Amino acid sequence: MPKLALKLSLKGPEAEQPDRWEAQLRKGAVEMAALASLWQGRLYGLEIIRYLETHSQMALAEGTIYPVLNRLKTEGLLTSEWVEAEAGHPRKYYSLTDAGRERLREMAKAWTSFANGLSRLLEPVLNEKEKTQ
Amino acid sequence: MTTEKQLESYLATLRLHLAPLTLGEREEILKEISAHVRDSAEQSGATVETVLARLEPAEALAKEYRDGLLISRASRSFSPLLLLRATLRLSSKGIAGIAVFFVGLFGYAIGGGLVITALLKPIFPANTGLWMLDGHVVSSGVLFPPPAAPAHEVLGMSYILIALVAGSLTLLSTTWAIRVFLGLSRGLEAQLSRLQ
Repeated sequence: MPKLALKLSLKGPEAEQPDRWEAQLRKGAVEMAALASLWQGRLYGLEIIRYLETHSQMALAEGTIYPVLNRLKTEGLLTSEWVEAEAGHPRKYYSLTDAGRERLREMAKAWTSFANGLSRLLEPVLNEKEKTQ
Repeated sequence: MTTEKQLESYLATLRLHLAPLTLGEREEILKEISAHVRDSAEQSGATVETVLARLEPAEALAKEYRDGLLISRASRSFSPLLLLRATLRLSSKGIAGIAVFFVGLFGYAIGGGLVITALLKPIFPANTGLWMLDGHVVSSGVLFPPPAAPAHEVLGMSYILIALVAGSLTLLSTTWAIRVFLGLSRGLEAQLSRLQ
């Protein structure tokens, strides 16, 4: 529910602190990002964290992703399996279920149309510099 | 403290605060976090102590697990206890949660009460029912003693069917309303728990 989360962030008293606001914006998108990281195949928790860092500059506190994955699994959007690794301990790999793929498609559409709308709204703000010159 | 002991101590705190979860859920979480700490230390060359510092405090991490599971489990459950517990958790965060908690409590009390009176009708036929006088409802339910004449009971044994249907409908609509509310709040709640 990215829209709802975003609304909340904007309303909060922290709205005046840009860094905090940006952090919240990232956090609001974490469920969608976790699902998106699994689009191409299964990954384990640490790989998801690294994938998000590399592909979206989305740096999360390392623990944050695990409760999110757990919840997505409870909702039937992800499945998991333990796989023995060379490291000597098994790793828990996550994959998207069919429901998860469908949900991610919906999220991606909603997110894109929302972001496009906001971009149009912000266009004059970003162009302000050029106009005043 | 040695590396192993630091990890064990973190996991012990996590286990303690994950107590409301089932044993299976809890052990799986501990196994996963433990694998994360070892992998992260090996892959980044950091010490276990550094990796543990990068994780959230065990208590905060456990809280995120608990809140997320309770709400998403409740929003697909039919158990009044679980549903009310989940709304109670939300009620600490806002007026809507408090309102839904009391509406839920009220709905379950009315619905449950109606079903109980339906079950009591065959046992206390003269004391259970709907009494009317001059076209107005005087009283209803199980009454000792029953309202005196000229008020009279109007439904007879059909009270059982009517009270059962009305009670069940009240219980179902209360459950449905809470689940809708929890479904709507789930995203909001997840957000709130991360903001704290």
